[in-house]
Amino acid sequence: MNPRTANPPKMALVVSPDLETVSAFQAALTGNGYVAIIARDLPTALLATTQHYFDLAIVASRLGEGGDGWPLAGVLHLVFPRAFIAVLTPGEPDVVTFQSAINNGVTEIYDQSKRPAEVVSAIVAQNPSKGEPGGKRVQ
Amino acid sequence: MPRKPSLLIVDDEVSVARTLQMVFEQEGYAVAAAHSCAEALHLLGNGGRYDAIITDLNMEEPDIGLDVARFAGNIKPKPVVVICTGYASSDNTRKALELRVDYLATKPVDLKELVPALNRMIAHRRDMRVAK
Repeated sequence: MNPRTANPPKMALVVSPDLETVSAFQAALTGNGYVAIIARDLPTALLATTQHYFDLAIVASRLGEGGDGWPLAGVLHLVFPRAFIAVLTPGEPDVVTFQSAINNGVTEIYDQSKRPAEVVSAIVAQNPSKGEPGGKRVQ
Repeated sequence: MPRKPSLLIVDDEVSVARTLQMVFEQEGYAVAAAHSCAEALHLLGNGGRYDAIITDLNMEEPDIGLDVARFAGNIKPKPVVVICTGYASSDNTRKALELRVDYLATKPVDLKELVPALNRMIAHRRDMRVAK
């Protein structure tokens, strides 16, 4: 086995329609050793799932219309059952939000107004299989 | 012949437990019932192993069904855990999320959603074990 590929970097998928948000998450994830793939809509996110094996996914609960991020999170949980799946939600979570999170296999929910660097720090603190330092893709 | 999936139903309302038992037996499950958290923990603590557990939340005490979920989370292989409750709150649903409960259904339970959801989760869990 090629020793350079024995410990590949952790892969993260960030899905949000907001360009600023995905950029900020990409920067925060890269700083924490992940290779971050970003998608701003559902088709691009689904395409990304066919091309990478993700350890972490951060998905906005609203992509094209309210709540359509939840089923995407559910699909990601089924495809990558050991991945940490985070969903960004607006405001204080209520029962319906927690129920959506549980029923879609989401690991944790975060307020979408929280700074991406804070969210990534919280995820890395919770997730023992965090990324490799530097986040460089090993070819 | 593949073995029947096994299911433990935990609900202090005997009529609810009995109805769920009949529904899931018709679906091909081998079903056991417990009518309190203590009875469920006794079954699980004495080697009872199930593919899935459906538990009520409020039984001897409010939210005590979370104890069943917590215990089940330490069983290997981990059963699918479903909470059915008529008293969902932000507090107990957050705790359920933290305990990695697999499904949360609110009463009155919509069986058209619960039955296929449980079938799907058990099939997924079985496929993951085979893949290991």
